[in-house]
Amino acid sequence: MTENSTGLVDKEDLRETLAEILDIDSEEITDDANFVDDLGVDSLMALEITVRLEKKYGVRMQENELVEVTSLNKTCRLLTEKLGGQP
Amino acid sequence: MLIPLRGSWSMILGASSGMGRATALALSQAGSNIIGVHFDHGPAAESVADLVKEIEGYGVQARFWNMNAASARTRAELVPLVAELTDGAGPRILMHSLAFGSLVPYLPRAGHGPTLVQRQLEMTVDVMAHSLVYWVQDLVAARLLRRGAKVFAMTSAGVVQALPSYGAVSAAKAALESHVRQLACELAPHGVAVNALRAGVTVTPSLRRIPEHAEFVARAGSGNPHGRLTEPEDVAEAVVLLSGTDSSWLTGNTIGVDGGELLAAGNAWELGNGSAPRDATPATTAAADR
Repeated sequence: MTENSTGLVDKEDLRETLAEILDIDSEEITDDANFVDDLGVDSLMALEITVRLEKKYGVRMQENELVEVTSLNKTCRLLTEKLGGQP
Repeated sequence: MLIPLRGSWSMILGASSGMGRATALALSQAGSNIIGVHFDHGPAAESVADLVKEIEGYGVQARFWNMNAASARTRAELVPLVAELTDGAGPRILMHSLAFGSLVPYLPRAGHGPTLVQRQLEMTVDVMAHSLVYWVQDLVAARLLRRGAKVFAMTSAGVVQALPSYGAVSAAKAALESHVRQLACELAPHGVAVNALRAGVTVTPSLRRIPEHAEFVARAGSGNPHGRLTEPEDVAEAVVLLSGTDSSWLTGNTIGVDGGELLAAGNAWELGNGSAPRDATPATTAAADR
């Protein structure tokens, strides 16, 4: 995977979106910062992330896929897969 | 005075499942247009399109938003849209049916995972109780809760009963009922009634998330003097019934919509193991004879 993009998902744009949803500075969302342990995401914020990303990327996430939504890099990879790309 | 619901608007927070969904359907059947706020992903989000179609099938308008009803951002975005949709009159009915909280015990307990943390408790009470206050504040500020409007908040037996994983939700229900009483008094001069509806144990998606639900569903079903659990439609019918008046005199209450479940002591009202009515089983006669 290249540094900043997977072709289908612009990682910097995703970082900005997550920062806006979580109402924190985008610099806090490092590639591997854990949403729960490092960024204090609770189950309600996790649902907010899921609903917003589903809308933005036009995908549907299943319950078992949500365990992947734990960091920027992992979320980027999951979205890329869902959009039919190679992570 | 009794007044028809036809042509009014009803706003339901938590409209995509359980009691909110059933009430949206019942109110639309009674001729009310529906504003629904729900928060879903995956298949649950997909299913809302069918619900909207079903509501529209009753000849009314339905507008649904997939947003977090407990966030200030959502209120800021939706209140102007509510004003626009209702031509400035606001909703006749505001129903708070938000079920989202942390279902974990306060203290370590065998068979359970991690215990409740501060963030979870605050989130749970904020979503399931305080958000009612903020919606009412914003709707009143926008002059969208007019004389004759009804506010309903869904509480539960959890307000007086404890379950291992239900502590945070119980606390939220206690706060919610307190908010209902306070709002009832503050809204009395506005002619707006505010009541809490305490449904009995009802099998909804939210109930299924409670770890102990299987045990107490079984117990509640047999303990209810009606011999069955509460259905979401029981709650929907109560909302329609209580909304059919412009009076605000019935206000500030917690109204049981549970078939007498909370009152029934132990399992004394159990109708026996089968579905046969009591008078068809000789056991009681035999016991009395001795």
